[in-house]
Formats: sequence, C-alpha cells, structure tokens
Amino acid sequence: MKFKYIGFFIALMCTAVSFGQIKVTGTVKDKGAVPIPGVNLIVKGTATTASTDFDGNFVVNVPNQDAQIEFSFVGFANKTITVGGQTTLNVVLEESSQTLDEIVVVGYAAVKKSDVTSSISSVKGKELQTMTVGNVTESLQGKVSGVQVTGVGGPGAQPRVLIRGISTVNLSTDPLYVVDGIPMGTSINFLSNNEIESMEVLKDASASAIYGSRASNGVILITTKKGKSGKTRFNFDTSSGMQIMNNPYRMADAETYATIMNTANNNSGYADYLPNPSQYRGKTTDWWKAGIRGGAPVVNASLGVTGGSDKHTFAISLNYYDAESIYEVGGWERITMRIANDFKFSDKFSAGITLNPRYEAYGGPGNWADFDKIDPITPIYKPADQLNGTENEYSIYARSPSYVWNPVAAVKRYDDYTDQYNLNTNGYLQYEPIKGLVIRSQASIEVGDKVRNRFRPDFVIDAAHEKEEINIVEKWNTTNVDWTWQNTITYARKFGEKHNASLMVGNTMEEYNGNDLWGYGEGVPNNTDSMRELKAATKNRNSSGNSWSSSLMSYISRFSYNYDGKYYFTGTFRRDGSSKFMTNNKWANFPSASVSWRILNEDFMESTKDVLSDLRFRAGWGKVGNQGLPTAVYQSNIGQGFYPIGDVIGDTSFPSSMANKDIKWETVEDISFGLDFGLWKNRVSGSLEYYQKKTHDMLFLKQFPTYSGFPNYSTIWTNVGSMQSSGIDLLVSYKDKKGDFSYGVDVTFTTVNVEMLSLSSADEKLYGAGNRTLTVKGEEPGYFYGYVADGLFQNQTELNSHTDEHGTKLQPYAQVGDVRFKDVNGDGKLDDKDRTKIGTPWADYNIGLNFNFGYKNFDLVANFYSSIGNDIVNQNISDLYNGASLTNKVSDLQQLAWHGEGTSNSIPRLSKDDNNENFTKFSSLYVEDGSFVRMKNLQVGYSFYNKFGLDKLRISLSGQNLWTWTNYSGVDPEVGAGDPDKGDRVKGSGFGGWNYPVQPTILMGLNVAF
Amino acid sequence: MKKNIFVFFLALFAILFTGCQSNDADFAPSDDPTVVVSTKEIYGAPSRKFEIKAALADDLGLKSVAIQIPELSLDKLITFPTNTLLTKYDLSYFFEVPANRGTSEAFKIKLVITDVSGNVVNEEINLRLDGEFAAPSITMVSPKEGAVILLSTSNKLPVNFVVNDDSGIDFVQIQCAALGIDETIQLTGSPQSYTFNKTYTLPVTAADYVLTITAKDKFAIPNTGSLNVNIVATNEYPAIFLCDQPKGTNLTTDAVGVPMYFHEKNGQDFEFKYYADKDNKEVYFLGQEADFGPHCFGLNGTGELVDDVASAPIILPTKGYYKIKVNPNTLKYTAEKYTPSSKVWADVANGLWHDDAALRKPFVSVCGGGIKDANWDTWNAWVMTGLHLANNSANPYQLVGEYTLTGTMEATFTGQWWDPSWRLIKNGICTMSPGENGNAKYPAAPGVYKVVLDTELERVFITKK
Repeated sequence: MKFKYIGFFIALMCTAVSFGQIKVTGTVKDKGAVPIPGVNLIVKGTATTASTDFDGNFVVNVPNQDAQIEFSFVGFANKTITVGGQTTLNVVLEESSQTLDEIVVVGYAAVKKSDVTSSISSVKGKELQTMTVGNVTESLQGKVSGVQVTGVGGPGAQPRVLIRGISTVNLSTDPLYVVDGIPMGTSINFLSNNEIESMEVLKDASASAIYGSRASNGVILITTKKGKSGKTRFNFDTSSGMQIMNNPYRMADAETYATIMNTANNNSGYADYLPNPSQYRGKTTDWWKAGIRGGAPVVNASLGVTGGSDKHTFAISLNYYDAESIYEVGGWERITMRIANDFKFSDKFSAGITLNPRYEAYGGPGNWADFDKIDPITPIYKPADQLNGTENEYSIYARSPSYVWNPVAAVKRYDDYTDQYNLNTNGYLQYEPIKGLVIRSQASIEVGDKVRNRFRPDFVIDAAHEKEEINIVEKWNTTNVDWTWQNTITYARKFGEKHNASLMVGNTMEEYNGNDLWGYGEGVPNNTDSMRELKAATKNRNSSGNSWSSSLMSYISRFSYNYDGKYYFTGTFRRDGSSKFMTNNKWANFPSASVSWRILNEDFMESTKDVLSDLRFRAGWGKVGNQGLPTAVYQSNIGQGFYPIGDVIGDTSFPSSMANKDIKWETVEDISFGLDFGLWKNRVSGSLEYYQKKTHDMLFLKQFPTYSGFPNYSTIWTNVGSMQSSGIDLLVSYKDKKGDFSYGVDVTFTTVNVEMLSLSSADEKLYGAGNRTLTVKGEEPGYFYGYVADGLFQNQTELNSHTDEHGTKLQPYAQVGDVRFKDVNGDGKLDDKDRTKIGTPWADYNIGLNFNFGYKNFDLVANFYSSIGNDIVNQNISDLYNGASLTNKVSDLQQLAWHGEGTSNSIPRLSKDDNNENFTKFSSLYVEDGSFVRMKNLQVGYSFYNKFGLDKLRISLSGQNLWTWTNYSGVDPEVGAGDPDKGDRVKGSGFGGWNYPVQPTILMGLNVAF
Repeated sequence: MKKNIFVFFLALFAILFTGCQSNDADFAPSDDPTVVVSTKEIYGAPSRKFEIKAALADDLGLKSVAIQIPELSLDKLITFPTNTLLTKYDLSYFFEVPANRGTSEAFKIKLVITDVSGNVVNEEINLRLDGEFAAPSITMVSPKEGAVILLSTSNKLPVNFVVNDDSGIDFVQIQCAALGIDETIQLTGSPQSYTFNKTYTLPVTAADYVLTITAKDKFAIPNTGSLNVNIVATNEYPAIFLCDQPKGTNLTTDAVGVPMYFHEKNGQDFEFKYYADKDNKEVYFLGQEADFGPHCFGLNGTGELVDDVASAPIILPTKGYYKIKVNPNTLKYTAEKYTPSSKVWADVANGLWHDDAALRKPFVSVCGGGIKDANWDTWNAWVMTGLHLANNSANPYQLVGEYTLTGTMEATFTGQWWDPSWRLIKNGICTMSPGENGNAKYPAAPGVYKVVLDTELERVFITKK
C-alpha cells in the first residue's frame, strides 16, 4: 500500500512537471537561409537535449519561459536563446571559422581543425563568392597569409599565385590544385566560384608532402559543394556589371604630338618633323575611342539545387560566366555544370559520383597598347582619293608612319578563337567493415578537346610595310585524356581514454595523355566567314601533329596520433615514381613530420581560460618536389636550322638537346613553426608562423661548354644549385557583435625573403629578361640589373665634371638634359661592369585587410590588398617619353621632359637621336617603386528572409578594384611573372609594360534561395 | 641637482658630438700638401683639348684635388681613397675648350688640393686661348702619292712641295733612306711659306720608295708635321686605271671606284670592262690612281694613243658596255661594245621577308662599317630600308642608292641571308659570292655619297654627292 502512495505521488509529480513544460518548435538555418540538419539543442540547466531533422526543424520541451536553449553545430558559432513567451523559434546560426571541431581537408583525408599539426589555411566558398572573377584565385587575394596573388587583367587571364614565395627559378611556380581529391594541374580557370564549398591552402611541406613531387609550390585543395539531406533547395546567384577600361595615359593630341616631335628633331639638329603644328589643331584621331570600349559587360550566374535523403544526397549546379573584351570582338565565356550524387547503401557501404561537363570559348585581340602608341595625326581610314575601289574591306585603313600597325584594322581582321570542351567524371566507393576502418577507392577521368581556329585575311594597307599578301587559315586540335585512380585504407581508433591514433595507407596512379593536330593553308578564295576552312585553302597546305604522355605512380601513408588532446604528431610518407625520369631517379621519397602542442589544454593553463580560447604551438618538417619540367627531357633531340658554312647557307641538323639520364626532381626541404591563438572566446584569433624552405638539385637548362664540341645552343637539363625562401605569415582576426551590429576584420601579413644559395659554379651569373635581370649566389633571384641613372645633367658644369681622373668623358655623347649614368666601380669607364642591382621584383611584405559589417539585414564587405617594397620596371617609359621613336607621347611631355636647369631630374630632354642612350641603356630610369594598396572589393547587400515566398532574397552592389594607391606610373602595379618560354618566369618577374590591367568593375548581384 | 643635470647633459653632448665627427678627425695633423705644376701658363684653343699637369704630394695622404675654371663650366673634383693613403699623385687632366670661346681670351685654372688632415692648398695656372697647334701643312705638287715612275721613259724624280704655317717655319727636312736623301733646310726669318723644288736621280732598277717630308714651326710649343709619299719606280705599269672624269677633277674625293681599276692584265696588256652611261663618253687611262699626272694616256691630234697629260680623251661613241684593251708600252688600245650575259638582278627594291625562301622578295642592301645605319647583321640590312639599293632604270645591271658614310668604310652588298651578296674587296672590286674573301677598308670623308653597284662589272662606285 505504501508503495502505491509512492507510485501515485511520483506519477502526480511527473504530471505536474509535464503540465509545467512549454513545447517549443522552430527551424535552424544558416545565414543563407539553408536549413541545418543535426543541430544539437541543450536546454541549459536541464538534461533535455534535442536535434534538428533533415529540414532543420526541431521540437523541444522547456520547463518555463526563463529557459535558455543553446544551439550548437560543427562549423557554426554556438547560439543561446531565452525562450520568453515564444513557442516558435526561427534560429539563424552564424558560421565560425575558428571552431576547432571544424573539418579541414588535408589531402586524402579530412580531420578536425584541432587535429591539424601543419600549416593549412582554410577559406570558405562564401568568402570567395563575394567577388565576381573569372579565376577564383583572384578572390583569394589578401585572404590567406603566406599567399601572394598577383592579378592579371583580361578575359581568361590567370593570376599568379605564390605560396610562401618561390622555390624554383626555371620551373613553374604555380601551386598544385586538387579538386575533390583529384590533382587538376596548375590552373583552375575552369572552376566557377559558385561551385566551391571551401579551399584549403597547404602551405608547408609537412602539409603538402602527401602530394610529393608536385607540391613544392604548395597545394590548394578545393572541395566543391555537395548535397545535403533534407528538403530540396534551390539557389540562384547572379551578378552582372561592367568592367571599366580607362585609358591609363593622357596621350598627346595631333598638334601637341607635332610639337613634341619637332622639339625632339630640333634638339638633335634636324628640321621640324611636322612643320607648323597648328595646322593639325582639331584634327586629332581619337584612336582610343575608335577601338576601346569604356566598359565591357561581365556576367556571372549560377543555378543550384541540393537535397536528398539519408540514403542519397545530390547537388546540381549550372554555372555561366561571360566577360566580354574591351574590343568590339573577343572575350571569355564559360558554361559549366556539376552533378554530384552521394549514396549511402548501408552503414558500411557508400559511393558517390560527380560529373562535371564544361565548355569554354575565348579569344581576343591583345593590341590595346597600339591605340595609345599610334600617332594621332594618321586618320583611321585612307582618304577617299587614295582608294581605287578594288580594295577589300581590310585594306581601306590608313597606314601610320609611326610603324604602329593600324589597331582598328588589326581588330577588324582578328579571327583567332578557341573552343574547349571537357568532361570530368569523378567517383568513389567506400566500405567501412568495422568501426574506424575505411576502405576507399576513387577514380577520375578527364576528357578534353580544344579547337583553335585562326584566320588571317589578306590585305594591303601599305605595300611596303603593312600587308598580308595571301590569306592564311590554321586550325589546331588538342585532345587530352587523363585518368587518376587512388585507393586508401584508413583506420582510426581511440586507445584507452587518452590515446587517439589513425593510420592511412594507399596508392595512386595517374596518367596524362594528349595529342594535337595542326593544319595550315593559304589562298582561300575570299575572306568571307564561310570560306575560312582548311579545305578551301588553295596553296601551301601543311600539317603537323604530335602526342605526349606522362604518368605518375605513388604510394602514400599518413600516421596521426594525439595524446589527451594535448600532444599531436602527424607523419606522412609518399613515394613517387614518374615517367619523366630515367631508371636512376625514377622513384623518390617525400617524408614529412609535424607536431603540435595544445598548450591551453594543459592543467596549468586552466586559470587563463577566461582570456585564452586557444593556444597551440606547431612545428613541421618535410620534403617535397617539383617535377614541372617538360616531358621526355631524358631524350636527345636533333634540331634543324640554316647554318652558314663558308659562303654556302646549308640546311643542317644539329644536336639541340642532350639526354641527362641522371636528371631528377627539384627537392624542397621545409621547416615551419607556428603559434595559433584565440582570445576572449575567439573574438580575437590568429596565427603566427615562420618558415624556411630550401630547394636542392634545382633544374636548369644549361648550354654546353664550347670545348664539348656541341653547338653553343645545344642544351641539357641538369640538377645544379640551391635556393632558400623564408618568411613570416601572420593572421589576426577580430570579430564581435553589439546588438544588431556585427563586425569583423581579418589582417593577413606575409613576408618572403628569397636567396640563391648556390649555382653550378660560385661565380655563375644567370641573366634574364634580355640581360636585364641577374641571378647570382647570395642574392634574390632575378633582381633588376642595369646602370644607375644618377639624375640628369642640369648644366654644362655637371656635364664637364663627369669624366675620369684624366678628363676623358664618361659619356662622350651626352648633352645637358641627358641621363647621368653612374661609374659604379669607379674605374673611370662606363661599361657593362658598371651595371649593378637597381631594384627587386620581390615585395618586402604583403598585407590583406578584410572587413565585414552587418546591421540587421544589411551587410558590407570590404577587402584590401597591398604589396609593399617591390620595384617594377616600367617599360612604357621608352614609348611614352622617348623622342627617338615616332609613336605618340604623353600630352604633357613637352613640360615633363628636361627643358632647362631644374625642370626635371628624371625625364631626359627630348631627342631624336638619343645618342646618350638615355632609353636604350637599361637603367634605374625605368625602375619605379611598385608598392600599392588596392581596394579589391567593396560590397554592400541587403537580405530579405522569408519574404515574397522565398527563403532568402539578397541584393547587392559591389565594386571591385575601384581604388588603387601607388607611386607606380605605369599601367597597373600588379605585374606578374616573365615569359616562361624564355626561361624568364622567375628571372623576368616585375617587368611592367602594356600589360592588360586589372580592371575596376561595378556589379549588381542577386541571390535567391527557396 | 642642477649640477648633476648639467654634467649629464655635458657628457651626453660630448658623446653625441664625438660620435658625429667626420672621419677627417681620424687623421693626425700633417703638413700642407704640395703642388708643382708643369707650367704656369697653358696654351689652348677653341675646340681643342689642353692638359693640366701637376705633381701633388702630401706627407700623410691626399684627399682630393679640385680643378676649376668657372668661366668654362669646369668644376671637377678628383677624390682619392682614404683607406690606403696616397701621398703622391701626378695630375694629368685634359679639358676641351668650348668652340664658342675667342682666341684672345685668357682664364685662370684653379687647383684646390686637400689632404686627409683637412689642409688646403690653392694653385693657379694661366690659360691662354691664342695657342697655335697646327703642324705646318705640306702640299705635294709632285710626286703624288702612289706615283709611278716609268724608268724606261725617265729615271728623274722631280720633288716639288709647298710648306705653310701661321707661326712661321723653322726647318724642312726631306728623307729617303733607300735613295740616300737626308736634307734639312733651316730657314731664317721664320717664313710662313716655303717652296721646295729639286730633282733627284733614281737607280734604273725597279723599286718602291718612301719619301718622308718633315716640317717644324716656330711656335712656343713647336708643332711638327710630316708626310710620307710612296713612289713606284718600275719598268712596266703595275696597274692602269680608266678615268671617265674630266681633267682637273680631284680623283681622291671618292670613297672607291674612281678611277676604275683594270679587270685583266697580261704583261702590259690591260683589259677593262666599262659601262658608258651616255653616248660619246670621254675616258682616259691613267698610270696612277690619285692624279692625272704623270702618266695620262689619251689621244694626240692624229688620234694615236700618247702618254701626255695634255692629251685629248678617247671617245666611246654610244651608250653601253665595252671591253677595252690597252697597252701602255705599245700605246695601242681597242674598245669593243658587247652585250652582257650575266644574271640581271632586277626588281630589288622594297624587299619583304618571308620564312619560306620561295616567298621572299629579293632586295639588295648593305652590311658593313662606316656606313650610317649599317652593321654586319643581314636582318638590319633588311629592316633599314634606307640602305636598300634600287634598280637603275637605265641599266638593269646597276643597283643604285645613296649612303651616308661616317669614316673608313667596308661593305658587302647583300640580299637576304647573304644570298646574293657582293663583297667589296681591294681596288673597288665587288666580287659576287662566293668570290674572294676579305673585305677591304676604304677611307672616306664623312658625307653623303652616291652608290652604284655594277653587277656586270662586279665593281662599285661610291662618289661624293
């Protein structure tokens, strides 16, 4: 009986408790209004928990109105809400980049951020999508410390990406891009930023060594968007706007041009070049306006759908990008589709397949400089009295005496376009026979076909100088088939309470095959579009073709261990075998090891946890390689050419390159130390890292010594020399929220110091960029090497005193107003021994500043990027200031150039002859401070949630590259690498000229989710 | 307290001051530097360099010497290294007087010598611009350079020359070791002009001689001029030249080709190929290249060939190519017109490059030295269209043009990749490739020249415009 009362009492209490509870329902979404399944709910102070379903919905009972519910999910900041009088809650979780439980992709695996022991930076796709760019790496600029991105203008242009400086002189400096686990080479032009879920930058060798022989320039892992279980969601993103092309120079009008030319002639003792300049008043040809569009439209659009169940998820996106060129023809158009399906057949067996068809079409003239350089007196078209009525449509243009081909005519003739078709299929099978053991096999096939068509119509603008007597049609077809297959077994287990370990072993196989075919013909009957086919050619038909193949086979492994979440160790090992090398060096090993100490988890740090949110020390070591040299360098080749033997010109063959059977990879050995920290609940967070990379066995294409008997242009690839890069990466983030106002700022700071440690001999000098750069031991590679322009001779006394100790003039042809070149070695002669270091293309440091603000439904993003301490060779100085050429000049040159004592100390007098070689001697006259600060992006947006029948509607207005602060007087301070075909990729860095500028762009954006 | 502050600041400033002193204070005191100039008066002239010479010395070390002539915009500072001290320095500094200064002007050259201890010494030198630096001019009347003395005619060598000098002539000297001539004529009264006229007798055996004439003037710093004249004494002519210029023409103003060297020689039978560019062309044969005398072969009153400077020209009746044979000993000649059969290099102007040889438009340009815009790069020869030769519309075998010569000239006339090419060797012969090797150098006064390349004759004529 007694028990009955007790039972009754318990039942009564339970009922009472039940009666006192409040049922709260609601939905949890992210900022993009996408429901988040699996969010954990805890009613604070109770044992009550719950989680959201596939559609982000939840139901939870709370004891009273004062109850607080805490929502938490990996990758998002925790949020606590007091129930109050509400019974329905619509919760928006904000993503947190600082969450230690966040998953980071590390190469053949994904681990918690807290378990990462090496230098990896992660960028969310959403951060990249704030900009509308053709190549997504451009929007990476300034967002990751240790990564230097140099923008390049023009549709389809690829920015230069350097991760922790350079580690090679002759090979590619581009990082390896790995998309969804598949190495995709050194360009991701094919990828839309709307397809990207996240990007991980593997900066040090302990992180990238798992990619072995291709990882010396760092690795960028890209994870594309995948489906999420739950209700089918649609997302439509679009932005469109105008890329603005302003003339970087104010060029002279016809009268001013005539005056400048006359002055140059008169200063050299000649008569006027264009007598009576006033006759040209009002007769200026505005070439720029005639051929360059002030604004070129750009459109980026993406339609995506995601959804699925717990057995199957899918993500489909259709992406379109179109950037028109600044000319009336040309541009870059890209259509891509990504269809990702993931299947979970059982708890043990899962699979997935992604299809990625792509189409790109591009091409366009590159002669925008000619619109500035051509003289302003020549008309666009020939005068009527010079036409006889028999000219074809390309022959009615006027010829300029400035030796610049009529740019309007050149654009009119332009017909050189490429269509590219690709299909990538990437699938995997995954089997987990027991808990913690994952067997995974992934394969990918990439099939591509690129067709380039070029037609050069016949025309006669000037019978002697500007003509194509016969039209020419050409076609290139390049096909590639690449495949990758990788198999891994991973076992992860917790031993006891505090030991956590995982081991991954696997192997990969890759093969890259390609072939091309070229056809050529002349004499197509006419220039109409329909006749621009090889079959229509009537003369000199020609063809050629080639094929190539390379392959890589690798064994990979990773062992990770941590003790009690305090002490971490990761070791990786990769063994690569490459078809590019012969038996002696076909295989190479790339080991790495890294440790991490989470200091904050130590007992003695307990008292600091009010302030410190994270404190971790990392150290890593590793070896990576660079095999980016041409295929088949182990073969000897025979070249063909004309060779004078006595008085006879012979058509000869000669050994052009010789095999080096001992050729092997460039090896980069890297050590890195880092400190990660978080303060005040990660309101302030960041990391500070120091690294040092040493490259051994550098690959150089060397000429044979003359005593070898080989012609002096015979070459051989060989492993000689070493170099070192070192520097500091710093990232500091601050974020906070005050009521409806949230704000955050990220600062990235990167320094790079590069030094050549050795070359093939101690005193070897490697020249680049037409002997304008030098690479020697103990110095940074490719520094600017030339004469020191020590101002201008302001008066006769200065000129007379520029002699050796016996009165011999150092510059016998100089006149007052000419450049004074410095006798650097003081030997009383001005010769090539007086050339010295006059600048460096390498920045002292780069800084990125990224601001974001939110107020209620408004958001604002501002990104700044700067490069400080680098120099640029402004090659346009000769075109714009040199009176010796007949090209147009800047309009105020008459005043800018020296025309009397004290009038200028940098721009020499106008001269037709330039006997002093003011402009032909490469000197510091051309070298300018290349530092700049650029506002990369400014975007303001407003979001509507659950309005108009949509989950989200966001409109935005943004401006890219709107402001640039720089002392550089050239076209654009973002100047990249030199010509790789001349071996100048590194040795020719920093040469600015008529490079296509990174254009300011104004865009309107619309994002709809439903 | 105030005292302590005072001492502190005193010490601070003392340290700062010591730290900021220049390196001069690092050197011990020493004696003044010394300077010994080679002359206190220097003669100069407009557009002419003069030399400042002085011996500088210092017991501890020299730091610098400044050379100043403010009126002539000269302010040169020569500094010496101070890590290894220099106690002696021989100053030798040349400076050119501006062309616009007057010969009556005079200036002070100031030398400022400073030693490492900071001692400064000044020295002044007078500079006068009324200096006379021209060597006496020697004008040969006879024999001319390259003169041929035909021993079978006469073994006398008349020597006749005139010497002129503004500051007066001190002496004249005639020397020829092979002939035993060594005469010095010491002149009295410093005449500004002197004429020498004397005939020497040569041995009857053939030989080459060099006659050296030297003259010295009477200026404070004497100037000496000399002239070598090469003479060939021979029993037969080594060469005969065809001259189509009227008598009295200066035959040394051309760069090459006038008069024209013979084509073939067999004993004293000389054969020329020649193009008469008009009807009734007048020509002579010369025994020497530089002058019409002493051996000029023309026609006498009866139409016979004679060796006489006063002879009348030989007339080639009609325009065209001739083969002309002449023997200076037998005084016989023949002139026959002929039709050339060599390749015609027509349509050579405005060539265009093409990688495919079959599509190249031929052109003929020039590679060489001493020609404005030319070098030895055939690409340059192509792109410098001003060097391209054009067809002579009147003669398909001639390519004509106009070049600016800048000094001693050498040339190979060339098409694309030396195909075809004509190399200018000695005696104005322009041999077509493969031909003979060795480009010859021809001295030429700077200026604009008319160029005629005759592919039939394989000769080039470059004459002052």
